[in-house]
Amino acid sequence: MTGPLYIAGLAVAFAGILVAFYAIMRESDDFHRILLTDLAEILALVLIALVATDLAEALILPGLVVGISELMAVSEVYLVKEGLFRPQYPPLSIEVMDTAPAILTLALVAYGIVLSGFTGGAVAGVGAVFYMMCRGHDERFAVIEAASGYAWALWIAAFFIFMVAPQYWLFAVMTAGGALLLKVAGKMSLVGTMRGGSNE
Amino acid sequence: MNSLPADIGGPGLYAVEFGDIVNYFTPYTAVLFVFALVFTALAIASRPERQVDIIFGGDGYYTKDIEPAKLGFQRFMAIACGLATLGAVVSGDVFNFTLFTSMVGITNIGIVAAYTNRHVLNAAFQYGIVAMIATVPLFGGAAIILATTGTLSMWELFGPAIAVPLIAKAFLILGVMGEGMAPFYVAKAEITRAPGAPYVLMIHVSSLLLFLRVTEIVLSM
Repeated sequence: MTGPLYIAGLAVAFAGILVAFYAIMRESDDFHRILLTDLAEILALVLIALVATDLAEALILPGLVVGISELMAVSEVYLVKEGLFRPQYPPLSIEVMDTAPAILTLALVAYGIVLSGFTGGAVAGVGAVFYMMCRGHDERFAVIEAASGYAWALWIAAFFIFMVAPQYWLFAVMTAGGALLLKVAGKMSLVGTMRGGSNE
Repeated sequence: MNSLPADIGGPGLYAVEFGDIVNYFTPYTAVLFVFALVFTALAIASRPERQVDIIFGGDGYYTKDIEPAKLGFQRFMAIACGLATLGAVVSGDVFNFTLFTSMVGITNIGIVAAYTNRHVLNAAFQYGIVAMIATVPLFGGAAIILATTGTLSMWELFGPAIAVPLIAKAFLILGVMGEGMAPFYVAKAEITRAPGAPYVLMIHVSSLLLFLRVTEIVLSM
């Protein structure tokens, strides 16, 4: 399985790991250590990527998720430890944020529906993010969560159709694509509400 | 996949197959499983301790405040930690094992992170850094195993036909030490200042079980 290229790549990765660990060892500032640790974690992904098969691709995602969740946990601990709180800024106001949101959001959501699936959800979600960031938002989390939940159930149902009635694959594809669109768009639109405010 | 791996874990007892992913019990892992199950049940059922500080040089004492909201979070994290440990001890796939191990690392941070005690938070932070660094050898070890042998299944790795490189074994052990065993050398004493006995105990239980399991894996490979 292992060729000379793999060994060479492994050598480079090990050199990177040595540099990263040495940097973490030398660093005394806690915040910088978090950042350096995050950099070091990328080298774990490099080691996985060196496998260079489809399986490696499938393994990188959980590795990345675990790394990010640990980073978030440690960052939260750091914030509480240092007694840091989010500073309150006056809301950003530029002219384009008053005039553009409706038309841009409409275009992005429409294009997202054409694309459908994960990509379409991301595009439509960006539209929703933009709208909510510009126009502000009210307490609508429950609605978004409910829509996301129904979309997830639809997605599962579509997979069920794939497995038990493959002859209706087109219907299942459209259901799954639409549901994924809703789900990703809903998730991303939550990002648009992350500007602090009353509903923390 | 015709027979369960009969190795230092003892003869295979039972296997749960999810396609490629096979979880299995041997007498060894079954004991670890039961142990983790008992402590998870304890975390679910027991009431938290109430810590008392004695004032030195007198007979006065004061009791520490136990806030129910924080204890709820701690209990949840302890239960999640128990479940991750359960997954890690029965996993038959090296990568799944590493994922469960890092989940134990995350929940261990969570168990102590709810406290605003400065010492506890400092310890939790240092532990978190170690746990994050440990994902490098942990996933690196699993990746090297996959690259050199072409499989992650313990069923095949435990066979005599496949030789796992020593560096991969070493990485796997280093990773588990960082994720699970870290409290034993960096921050254990400080972390246990956090009140809530049955929940904090889960940190030690999970570390112990993970280490016993990785020992079995590495010796069998």
